[in-house]
Amino acid sequence: MRRHSRRTPAATAALAASALLLSACGAPDGGGDSDSAAGKVEGQVTFQTWNLKARFQKYFDGVIAEFEKKYPGTKVKWIDQPAEGYPQKLSADAAAGTLPDVVNVSPDLAYPLAKAGLALDIGAAAGKYRGEYLDGAWRSQQMPGLSGVYAFPWYLNTGPMFYNKDLFRKAGLDPAKPPTTYDRLFADALTMARKSDRRIAMLAGAPSIEDFGRYGVRLMDARGTEFTFNEPKGVELLTHYRQLYAAGALDAQALTAVAESAGRKFQQQSVAMNPGSALDLENFKRDAPGLYENIGITDAVNNTGKANMYVQGLMVSADSKVKPAAVAFAHFVTDRRHQMAFAKQVAVFPSTKGSLDDPYFTKEDGTDATRVRVAAAKSLKTAVNYTPVVLSDQMKTVLRNAVARALQGKQSPQEALDSAVAECNRLLKTG
Amino acid sequence: MTGAAGRRRRAAGWSLAARYLLLLAVLALTVGPFLWQLSTSLKGPGEDIYRFPPSLLPHHPTLANYAEVARVIPVWDFALNSLKVAAANVLTNCAGAALAGYALARLRFRGRRVAVVVFIMAMLVPVESIMIAQFMTLRQLQLHNTLLGVVLPGCIGAMNVLLMRNAFAALPYEVEEAAFVDGASAWQRFVRIALPSVKGTLAVVAVFAFMGAWDDFLWPLIVLNDQSKFTLTVGLNYLHGTFADNQRLVAAGSVIAVLPLIVLFAGLQRYFFRGVGEGAVKG
Repeated sequence: MRRHSRRTPAATAALAASALLLSACGAPDGGGDSDSAAGKVEGQVTFQTWNLKARFQKYFDGVIAEFEKKYPGTKVKWIDQPAEGYPQKLSADAAAGTLPDVVNVSPDLAYPLAKAGLALDIGAAAGKYRGEYLDGAWRSQQMPGLSGVYAFPWYLNTGPMFYNKDLFRKAGLDPAKPPTTYDRLFADALTMARKSDRRIAMLAGAPSIEDFGRYGVRLMDARGTEFTFNEPKGVELLTHYRQLYAAGALDAQALTAVAESAGRKFQQQSVAMNPGSALDLENFKRDAPGLYENIGITDAVNNTGKANMYVQGLMVSADSKVKPAAVAFAHFVTDRRHQMAFAKQVAVFPSTKGSLDDPYFTKEDGTDATRVRVAAAKSLKTAVNYTPVVLSDQMKTVLRNAVARALQGKQSPQEALDSAVAECNRLLKTG
Repeated sequence: MTGAAGRRRRAAGWSLAARYLLLLAVLALTVGPFLWQLSTSLKGPGEDIYRFPPSLLPHHPTLANYAEVARVIPVWDFALNSLKVAAANVLTNCAGAALAGYALARLRFRGRRVAVVVFIMAMLVPVESIMIAQFMTLRQLQLHNTLLGVVLPGCIGAMNVLLMRNAFAALPYEVEEAAFVDGASAWQRFVRIALPSVKGTLAVVAVFAFMGAWDDFLWPLIVLNDQSKFTLTVGLNYLHGTFADNQRLVAAGSVIAVLPLIVLFAGLQRYFFRGVGEGAVKG
């Protein structure tokens, strides 16, 4: 009966992941083959993106046509996967040996594939291109415990914090001075809850791993073998959030919030602050004009001075039959010119060296959208990807459940984090 | 009219009112979210769709969102694929489950009880745990990236076989014995006597099979690669943008996805409610 299949996405992911590992045990280690990328660039390359076709068909059709023209004898077959279920799709393909030649992955998706020997080591096969990319972006594709780099860095994303000036004003807070550190954020959040009689929450969500990172918690030990977010700093952060939750400064549905639901709460004006990206401005204008008039924009709250960034990459399958062409195409898509063109299509940022110094990312023209873009580009130069690559979906669920237990008062923050760290370490070892 | 009767009538009136109130509350709970989707899908740009309390009547009603859905994704191709898969699923499930159910309920053969137990056990295996194995089997059969591959694993559901078995088992034996005496073969008894008596359960199986195939997301996602072969649930996912969501498009897409289910249910509801009680009361 197929209709039950949407019941347990988390369980699916776990099962799919274990199936992937089982099937990969016998796979030959094709990752370190350094000469595999040499040879004539020809043949049909299958290129898989993650939910980009609906909006950017024209851009990619152009890139593909250009590549086919530059290398006669090549053909690129582009497939695009929808937003949901991408990890499951990848692990099913990996298990059955049907991975496309060039695959759009984020580092956490690339990790299990690299570990199973299914991702080509770009560092060995195409190390000569290293100098073209931002150092941080290149290094974010390194995997702990594996030598090598398993994807070409592609687009980066980061975003500011949006806040509702009207709600700030009503709570007696200065709308011109939004909180920029966590201590200020906590204090303002409590004021907001008190003044609004618990009706308006400052934040929509419980803390995620990125929040731990921005707060300055050490997430893993230096070798990436053990999680450490139960250190005193982590406990301190969770204790603060617990106070907020008890005072009504976190949304009542914070424990189950995801980015989408948090965004909705912010647009309903029942939450005063929410992270977002430059594109959200358009959404506010269209969907919540009342909010748009009162929108405030500030840097993401952090204690470390470094913003969080999300990284996408292009992985080449180690089993690809057309490795030279696949590597050439992955590099072609992620080179400076094409990344720059893509960044002009949508509010993402190129990971190639020097691109962020382009006037497009440094010159303001007075509009809000440009201001957000310029500020984000500036913060990207020092930004880090706080989420450890080894933190699987399953581990994120473990952390979320532990945080929920602590916020509800069922466990002390220390106990909750201790158990989450123990469970994540166990998963890390058995994974 | 005596006082006692009046009081009784008044008490009955109150309980009737309470009952209707409760029904209305449940109706609001179940239909409300759908109405919100419907109204969101009809709202023009610039309208505040997140206002509280929500306004269900669009101020600038427009069908532009539906046109936009069709522009962003080939929604009618997706719907056609879904329809093919769902129709095939309904046919195979109705035919297969009826045949298997009749055999389990009426035919005497060695291992009949074991077969029933196996069917029940099969329902206990979560689909997710065997999905990868199923996919690898399909790949061996060269059926991945085909609609046939989407239909195959769910083409005869164990649950449907059990439903049909119970419906057949609930029919009075005497009727078939009479047909047997008149010289009807097993096949004739199945087609002429048994099948017409379980139309209700067949309708239930049809609706379940249609809904199961129409709503399924993960399996078609894993099997299919080419966008031209995507089913509606997989394709509609493209409306969730990577960088920004347009709630109006998502709402319009989900209305398109739900419509056939409503039509199907409305068409079959006469049989449907008969079918739900069929196995339980008769006998």
